[in-house]
Amino acid sequence: MAEETLLSDEFLRQLINVGEVDILVGLPTHNNARTIQQVTRAVQAGILQGFPRERTVIINADGGSQDRTREMVTGLAIDDVWSASKVYALRTLHAISTEYARSPEPGRALRTILAAADLLRAKVTVVLSPESTTIEPGWLQRLVRPIYSDNFDLVSPTYRRQRFEGLLMRNLLYPMTRAVYGYRVQEPYAQEFAISSRLATDFLNQNIWNAEWGRAGPEIYLTVAAITGNYRVCQAFLGVKARTNRNARDMVLALRRTVGALFSSLDRSLAVWSAISSSQVVPLVDGHGDVSPEPLKVNRKRLRDMFANGVSELEPVFRSILSPATLAEVQRIAALETAEFRYPHEVWAKTVFEFAASFHHSVINRDHIIQALVPLFRGRALSFLLENRNASEEQIERNVESLCEEFERQKPYFLEVWNHRK
Amino acid sequence: MRDIIISELTQGLQELARGFAHYLPRVIVMFIVAFVGWVIAYVLKVLVRNILRLTKFSKLSENAGANELLKQAALPSSTELLSRFVFWVAWVGFMLLGVSALGIVGLQEYTSRFFLFLPRLFVALLILFFGLLAASFFSRAALLAAVNADFGPSRLVSYSVRVILSIFTISMVFEVLGVAEGTLLIAFGSAFGALMLALAIAFGIGGKDLAREFLEKRFAKAKREEKEDELFPL
Amino acid sequence: MPWTREPGWYKDAIIYQVHVRTFFDSNNDGIGDFPGLTQKLDYVQELGVNAIWLMPFFPSPLRDDGYDISDYTSVHSRYGTLNDFKTFLDTAHARGIRVIIEMVLNHTSDQHPWFQESRSSPDSPKRDWYVWSDSDAKYRGTRIIFVDTEMSNWAWDPVSKAYYWHRFFSHQPDLNYDHPAVREQMWAVMKFWLELGIDGFRLDAIPYLIEREGTSCENLPETHAIIRDLRRRIDAEFPGVMLLAEANQWPADLRLYFGDGDEFHMAFHFPLMPRMFMGLRLEDRKPITEILQQTPEIPASCQWCLFLRNHDELTLEMVTDIERDYMYDIYAQDKSMRLNLGIRRRLAPLLENDRRRIELMNGMLMSLPGTPIIYYGDEIGMGDNVHLGDRNGVRTPMQWTGGWNGGFSAAEPENLYSPLVANPVYGYQAVNVLSQKSTEHSLLSWMKHILAVRRSSSVFGRGAIEFLYPANHRILAYVRRVGNELVLVVNNLSSAAQAVELDLEPYKGNILVEMFGRNIFPRINAQPYFLTMGPYQFYWFRLRRI
Repeated sequence: MAEETLLSDEFLRQLINVGEVDILVGLPTHNNARTIQQVTRAVQAGILQGFPRERTVIINADGGSQDRTREMVTGLAIDDVWSASKVYALRTLHAISTEYARSPEPGRALRTILAAADLLRAKVTVVLSPESTTIEPGWLQRLVRPIYSDNFDLVSPTYRRQRFEGLLMRNLLYPMTRAVYGYRVQEPYAQEFAISSRLATDFLNQNIWNAEWGRAGPEIYLTVAAITGNYRVCQAFLGVKARTNRNARDMVLALRRTVGALFSSLDRSLAVWSAISSSQVVPLVDGHGDVSPEPLKVNRKRLRDMFANGVSELEPVFRSILSPATLAEVQRIAALETAEFRYPHEVWAKTVFEFAASFHHSVINRDHIIQALVPLFRGRALSFLLENRNASEEQIERNVESLCEEFERQKPYFLEVWNHRK
Repeated sequence: MRDIIISELTQGLQELARGFAHYLPRVIVMFIVAFVGWVIAYVLKVLVRNILRLTKFSKLSENAGANELLKQAALPSSTELLSRFVFWVAWVGFMLLGVSALGIVGLQEYTSRFFLFLPRLFVALLILFFGLLAASFFSRAALLAAVNADFGPSRLVSYSVRVILSIFTISMVFEVLGVAEGTLLIAFGSAFGALMLALAIAFGIGGKDLAREFLEKRFAKAKREEKEDELFPL
Repeated sequence: MPWTREPGWYKDAIIYQVHVRTFFDSNNDGIGDFPGLTQKLDYVQELGVNAIWLMPFFPSPLRDDGYDISDYTSVHSRYGTLNDFKTFLDTAHARGIRVIIEMVLNHTSDQHPWFQESRSSPDSPKRDWYVWSDSDAKYRGTRIIFVDTEMSNWAWDPVSKAYYWHRFFSHQPDLNYDHPAVREQMWAVMKFWLELGIDGFRLDAIPYLIEREGTSCENLPETHAIIRDLRRRIDAEFPGVMLLAEANQWPADLRLYFGDGDEFHMAFHFPLMPRMFMGLRLEDRKPITEILQQTPEIPASCQWCLFLRNHDELTLEMVTDIERDYMYDIYAQDKSMRLNLGIRRRLAPLLENDRRRIELMNGMLMSLPGTPIIYYGDEIGMGDNVHLGDRNGVRTPMQWTGGWNGGFSAAEPENLYSPLVANPVYGYQAVNVLSQKSTEHSLLSWMKHILAVRRSSSVFGRGAIEFLYPANHRILAYVRRVGNELVLVVNNLSSAAQAVELDLEPYKGNILVEMFGRNIFPRINAQPYFLTMGPYQFYWFRLRRI
């Protein structure tokens, strides 16, 4: 039986040379030459400062970079052969790279890193984003220590964010994960996290890698696997979250990777989440996430127009997805002017839940359902911006908290639409 | 002379009776076949209906947008329609078989032509169904893409996609059925060609700026002008 | 006591063979006993074995180390009471260790009440319980087993003025299994112990139960019928109990003892054992692969029992004359080591105390198909004393510490049932459990490790075997498989480093993961797989697809 192998022979050879490690740092990349050196230098410094005696390796899983990203990563290895870096280290620090595909696939990148971690029996596996220009050496310690010393299985990050960043996270992903799965993980979709060897091996052996949504959004699956399985989860405050350049067309990709993965994860773990009725706090080690007062320019009128436009143009699609009551509400909101624009928590929670239920029932093609959510999310984002434009950090926290509580309150309704929709 | 008339009459009647006796069994056979055919066709109809219900065919046809069309035309649901269709095709087939038992030469030919036509009819139905399904799917995809890209006339785009694909489908159906092949081919060809020409001109004149920008982005790696801050959702 | 016996438990067993007399003395009379053995169960459990096979502990004049039994349903007073045995049994079970005991069916001691009654008069009701004859001409041609001490299989009894049949020592008259009362009585004996809760019997000297004129008096069909009957009764009343055959026969004859899965569950693979030593010395895998090729298929529920050494001599009955001469010349140049067509030495002295060879032999023992048996003391590399007569040289007291009596007993050294091994190399000051327990690289620690690795996969106990035949004949390599689990074992039988190319094409695409250190080795591809091996080195590789 010819089975496609995950690790190429060349990469395997490199892994054999590295041997057993204590800490493995994984970097999934694609054309990140602009930022990768900064990140890897910070990782190197983090290792040398925090874990000088540990056996470590940096593994770069690359999705077909054309800009010498891979060479930049491997150039930071420290050994007795090539010591031009003049950095002192007790041990050899390996930095190896593999091209897992010609174009980026998040699922495959993560799977490659986990397979390497499994073979090298790494005690802790850390995955970092190659675009984190705000990374500091201390991040590594904060991610690794809870697993290394305190037997946690998953360390999820929290950040200091600009007050209007991460709207999808705070308006959808966090409230929904919290309400459905009962764990207050602030960043259920994280591109930087650390996991134990036990969780890494178990997750590697789960059957999500060939599923469509597992390939696109494995990070959410990982979080869900950790909180629904018998694993200890905690959060660690890292620092400022780096802003990456995005534009409108990436919104659909972002939703696919996060909301699509989240919705599809519900199918697999129904037995677990349907029995949960309240949420518990996830311990936070080391500091706490907060917001910075930097201003952010957003074109509100454009947001509102895109929302209203979407609501009117996509009406036939929404009719298959939303209940008549919710649709009527949404249409009412679309008619509001910018000044009085509000997308209330209750309506938003119902919207999200009805979308999730329709996703489950595949009322129309699932990818179309996700795409249809985008304009509605813009409406909610606008509402959030307007509600909080003059709010302090604490007030914003409280508003997010009350949105979460609304989601939790609506959970029985969610179960209803999940079960009764034909 | 009376005897001759009587004997001729008798002979005539006898011949008639003989002819009758000759054809009567065949007629009986025909009716039997027709009756049996009816029974079988009915069973088939029920079978098909149950299978379609089990495979949730109605949902699929709803996706294809067929249900809407049927409702507008005041026709029964797609499941019902299809099962009735199967019934009628089966029964007509059996009746023709029965008729052919009568042995009327001219009818044989029509009977066989009918049966030869059935596969093409089946293929045509398949094409129609999947074509409409595809039209519905792609028109929705186009709608969503256009809305999310903030492209103005998104409904128009979606509708055009649906229309084009539907026309395409129907032309294929007619071609398979062999109805007015030549005419349709030419009509479709010229319409499609005209549409493409119009679009090309429109995009060519109206979109040359857009094209230049696209090419620049791809090949010149020039610094894009910073648009106004967009959302950072994650 | 909720003690369960899953069917086939013996396939996953690792057996520790021990004599209660040799292990630990709790009442300071110089002789090991059951309370002492019970105290040392922690050690046995830590070692990693999950079954104990006890040598005979029944009342006996001890002229054959307990195999001459004079009371079948009791415990010899020197070793304790029946209650002590029960305590031991329960404690072992609580630690997850099963207990297998001896049952000598073929013969009793001449001091047994049954024989006393039988010989008393020709009209005694138990007369025919033994095999009497007026002349010693019957069954002529039957081979003598203890050639060094016995001249004939008949012995003259002056009391009853007739000859009685004995295949072993003359003080061990054979029971007559043609007599139904004998069969019923022996079943009652077995039932006695089964009801106490033991998990299995090793049936000693089983081929010799029945005699018939004109035959070799071994492996007769009537003997098999008796075994089948015993098995049937056991399966009906005590399901899960295991029967182990001691039958020193060629593989084809051994096969018969499994029947169709309706006779013995396990049998010792006697012919393999000397060939392992031969292959090692010849630095050639041929003796080992050949005997295993000739080993017939056995029923799915049955299992071979493998061992390196035991309480008896290293038997060379089942080898050719050339092979026997070779073994004598290499392993027992001192003729005092030879006994009864065998060599009476322990494992470590046989292998010249070479740690690498000891590890390799144990590695083969643990990875060839079958259930392995460890002889007590071999896990720390104990030595022997050939001058102690018969086979007592390999049955010296267990060496626990470097102190008084090696930690075996607090009695005066002169009162020990046997002197300790005291020479500077193997003596108790040098070789003992205490000193080896705390060192990471002692033989004892290594044994624990290899047992743990063996237990980590069921492929060793339950898997099929497929030999690879690399061109380098010094390399013994085979693949064990059960279900989707594959393990590749490669052994270097040579005292020098070797290079070998293995044809692993059927397993292309798998990564090799070495099972002791769990490090990864290169992936198998269409090319021959190249390995270099140090002297006497072996690898166990798990094959993994990723």
